Amino acid sequence: MRNKLIILICCSFVFMAAFLPACTTGTKAPGPTEQNFKAPIITLKSVEVVHYWGWWYFSSKVAPTKGKAGNYGAPLDLAFIFDIQNPNSYPILMDSLKFTVAFEEFDLNSLSSMETQWIPAGKTNQLRVHGMFDGRQSLLSLLVTGGFKLKEKGVGAFDQLEKWWVGVPEFAFPISVKEGSAVFKADGLTKVAAFSGTFPK
Amino acid sequence: MKSKILLFLMSLALIAGIFSIYACGEKPEEKEKAKVVAEVIKVGSLNDMTGATSDVGKDYALGIAEAIHYINETGGINGKQIKLFQFDYGYRIPEALTKYNLFKQLKCVAILGWGTGDTEALAPTVARDKMPYVSASYSGHLCDTAKTPYNLFFATDYSTQVRGLITAWFDKKWAKHPENGQRKPRIAACYMFASAFSSASIKAYKDQAEILGFEVGLDQDVSLFAIDTKSQILALKEFKPDVVLHTNTVMSVAATLRDAYALKLGADHIIKNWGYDENLPKLAGPAAEGAIGCAPWAFFGLDVPLMDKVVEYAKKYNPGIPLENRTIHTVQAWASALGLAEALKRADKAGDLSGESILKNGFETMKNFEIGLGIAPVTFLSTDHRSQSEAKIYEWKDGKFNLFAEVDLKERWPDKWANEWLGW
Repeated sequence: MRNKLIILICCSFVFMAAFLPACTTGTKAPGPTEQNFKAPIITLKSVEVVHYWGWWYFSSKVAPTKGKAGNYGAPLDLAFIFDIQNPNSYPILMDSLKFTVAFEEFDLNSLSSMETQWIPAGKTNQLRVHGMFDGRQSLLSLLVTGGFKLKEKGVGAFDQLEKWWVGVPEFAFPISVKEGSAVFKADGLTKVAAFSGTFPK
Repeated sequence: MKSKILLFLMSLALIAGIFSIYACGEKPEEKEKAKVVAEVIKVGSLNDMTGATSDVGKDYALGIAEAIHYINETGGINGKQIKLFQFDYGYRIPEALTKYNLFKQLKCVAILGWGTGDTEALAPTVARDKMPYVSASYSGHLCDTAKTPYNLFFATDYSTQVRGLITAWFDKKWAKHPENGQRKPRIAACYMFASAFSSASIKAYKDQAEILGFEVGLDQDVSLFAIDTKSQILALKEFKPDVVLHTNTVMSVAATLRDAYALKLGADHIIKNWGYDENLPKLAGPAAEGAIGCAPWAFFGLDVPLMDKVVEYAKKYNPGIPLENRTIHTVQAWASALGLAEALKRADKAGDLSGESILKNGFETMKNFEIGLGIAPVTFLSTDHRSQSEAKIYEWKDGKFNLFAEVDLKERWPDKWANEWLGW
């Protein structure tokens, strides 16, 4: 009986010994302040063509085999992979991230990630953001935001889209991430990091 | 006795061990999580950042997110934080309907919506679900509470804008025209026929033109994606309009103004709010000189209450976007978000954040409510969701937007305002 009790007491002290140092370290490490909260460094690591259907476009005048007629363009599923480095000596929460995607100099899509994730002190997490670029959507976006630029270049919108959709498996043109911003939180403080990047580099 | 002492020591050790885990071992993640899971109010936001209206929609979407950050950082909704679920639906109505279902699944209490087509398509559903829906569509169709009780917006509705534009031009420009008194003024309109947004105020335009005695020319179908409108301008030249109304967004309005200028149409241009922003002079160049437009809010950066916060949060949350690229659409997004926040605060104070309470204890208790941002005071009645009757009209001249006229339609035509014009 006595031996058992001694073993139990020892276990308890071992247990304490295991957790108390963490407690002590936790109190000694500097917590987040406005002054020491550094903006994380976000780097576009790569862009992947996740799913690919080639290039095609059907206008609403074309009768479909099944379903409703409409203006449909080939979808293109891209993924943007980011390294997010936390330079702080404490963990931080990434609250949201958003950016604009441009093919060459034309803005084509705006993507975001609303899922939160923790980044440990001094570590680097990775984030994959998917972007669906369908032919019809991209046509409208291209015309409405880049119409005048296309006109100046003397290039038709469909020709431009076809060039991109055909060339994307080999990344035959630069894909840029721009106007990026991500919101980070630590102990009630907020820090916004700006980022941009181009692939291929 | 020894056993009892040992037992006592063991208990002490165990308590200390447990304490070390629970008291000292609280991790930052847990602390932050505790904050995150503190009471939140979920709000959905449907935006067009990539579709047919992305020339104006992206800036609006940025403004919504920035305004929600501001609200959360300045006390939230009586201490509760707003969790914003913001999606780009690319101006596709089927996707808007799908996202609406997602918002319900996420238990959003209200929605900040976007376009006319999807807002009008969703109106019966939001009424059935009692889901307050603050849109960036200012269609007059959404103001009649008998038909669309849960639709609201913080702006002058499109029909009132168009009536105000025509009236202001008639009062100030036609009054000085050399042929005034010798013939009727001539007016025509350029817009995308197939777009619910562009055509939302056409009935009101024709009615107002008739009231003021205009000769109305054939409408010209100008796509929202048009970059060449020469055929439409040539058709207009045969009619010789004195003034042309534009109800598209800014890119196609700029294209039309450029072609009108190049082909010497010789008409004035009056433009609904979405076609009239800081990008118009950049895109249309000298063709924008003298363009008249309706702007219910202050242009980005002007000295009006709360604009300092709009600029501060634009810098803080989107540091990668130069301020010179921000527009009035950011400001109007703030008006929508702040208006919704005020309704949520009032409903929350009443102890009920249901859709019906947000409408009745929130929006419909606003009487001459001042948001700031240059927008006229807001009033919502249970019978009438036209939040204001005043159209603020500007003229682009000598490199800046100058206040041209303020037309209060309710004051000028009280009977028509009260008995005829609601809901169209």
